[in-house]
Amino acid sequence: MAYDRPFPSQGTNTAPFWEGTKQGKLMLPRCRECNRVHWYPRFICPFCHSMNLEWIEGSGEGTIHTFAVQHLPPPAWQKDAPYVTAYIDLKEGDRMLTILRGVDPNKPEDIKIGARVKVEFEQASEEMHLPFWRVMGD
Amino acid sequence: MPGQLSKAAAIVGAAEANEIGFLKEPKSSLQLHIEAIKNVSDQTGIPISKIDGVFSTGWSSELCEHLGIHPKYIDTTACGGCSFEMHVHHALAAIYAGIVEVALISHGENGFSSRKIGAKGRHSYGPGSGDASPASEMTMAYGLGGAPSAYAHAMVRHMHRFGSTTEDFAHIAKVTRDWATLNPRAAMYSKDVHPFGGPITVQQVEEARMITWPLTVLHCCMVADHGGAVLLASPKVAAGLHTKPVWIAGAGETMGHQNILEMEDFTATSARQSAEAAYTMAGLGPDDMEMALIYDSFTITAGITAEMLGLARRGEGFSLWKNGDAAPGGRFPINTNGGGLSFNHSGMYGMPLLIEGYRQLSGTAEDGINGDPGKQTSARTCVVNGTGGTLSTTGTLVLVADE
Repeated sequence: MAYDRPFPSQGTNTAPFWEGTKQGKLMLPRCRECNRVHWYPRFICPFCHSMNLEWIEGSGEGTIHTFAVQHLPPPAWQKDAPYVTAYIDLKEGDRMLTILRGVDPNKPEDIKIGARVKVEFEQASEEMHLPFWRVMGD
Repeated sequence: MPGQLSKAAAIVGAAEANEIGFLKEPKSSLQLHIEAIKNVSDQTGIPISKIDGVFSTGWSSELCEHLGIHPKYIDTTACGGCSFEMHVHHALAAIYAGIVEVALISHGENGFSSRKIGAKGRHSYGPGSGDASPASEMTMAYGLGGAPSAYAHAMVRHMHRFGSTTEDFAHIAKVTRDWATLNPRAAMYSKDVHPFGGPITVQQVEEARMITWPLTVLHCCMVADHGGAVLLASPKVAAGLHTKPVWIAGAGETMGHQNILEMEDFTATSARQSAEAAYTMAGLGPDDMEMALIYDSFTITAGITAEMLGLARRGEGFSLWKNGDAAPGGRFPINTNGGGLSFNHSGMYGMPLLIEGYRQLSGTAEDGINGDPGKQTSARTCVVNGTGGTLSTTGTLVLVADE
């Protein structure tokens, strides 16, 4: 079934990221000067202001920083409600927003901050697959 | 030692649009602006033609043209709901510097009416719809919508880090509603005014309709109609007016981020820094404050901000409401108008903070006329903090009553 929720059009500096998603890779921007990964993609390193940036393949591993359960979402996600949104601390550093998979939105008390998560991809279009994060089993 | 700008200017008048709240007949934002400007001009006796500084959230050019005036200082700072506190800071500097003598800060926002008559700038979602911002590009696919969908993440992090509970924060909603029941201008004043108005209990807050877990609807501010305007003037002008001045003893502003994605600590805002600047300018500290007006977009916003302003220990901001300090009759009144939660919140709540600060410290009644009915406290000092965006930007003021 075709992906029928909102997804972005590609920005001017993010082609390596979207190319990676088609191959199941989580590509992350990293600064060659200070060696820090940042998210979302920048034109300049937000930490040391170098413009000497590169893309690296991330591990696709992270942990839950915080989360919430969306009961009154925008119309395009109405049929999915309730669902869990979460901010993921990437293993490589910095943070990414996701809709969390592998959790019960009706039992938020069972969702643990710090729980390990792994990235997976879903095709949204010919050019673009979207990363989502799934809680790993114990 | 107070800073050089401390008390260089005063708020000499503060008024609102003719009608605010959930308006039966929709009004445009511009109309709410103009009504409020006219009313504050009438209140102070300062003609609109004497306004030589105009401060608004992107509206200044349109307002000046509409009013036929040509001010010397135009500021369109728009950083969200805290912008009006920032405008005061900028106007304070402009008056101190001798650039202007009378600065207009104006707000008109048809947060409710726009549902009927439409508003510009709404986000449109649809397959393939894009945005030039890489932040939007990387977040738009993940189902966040209005402010509660973002702010809830901060509350969950606070609960995790400090062991706080939804019940702790529900006290903020309950106490703030208690204040609203004392304010006839409040949208939730009583059941006669609004079907969901009148007193509420902590249990009702807990059991209300879920918006974004853990925020029930009663943890969230309303979206209504509001217009307000404030005039600041130099001490020389203030001395010749019949209105009482409320002095701006301290002001500060700063920001942490725009997207909540970029918030390093979800339980802290830049109010810590903007408050420090305001307290330093005033030569006063949190212990010298006798009341507070805090942008309460959500209970979590108010709780965190109380911590940032130095009014409560870290992780325990909610305790001011829970132990009754912030409540009517309490040691340290907070949000005496009923707050964004229960008085009025049109989208950017910074202006009602200023109006209430002026009312409480000048002894002005709810309808803008000097008198007792609107004055709920004996406070002579007040810290005011606006928060804009998604816990993004802050403007803090220290206001003090006239000697």
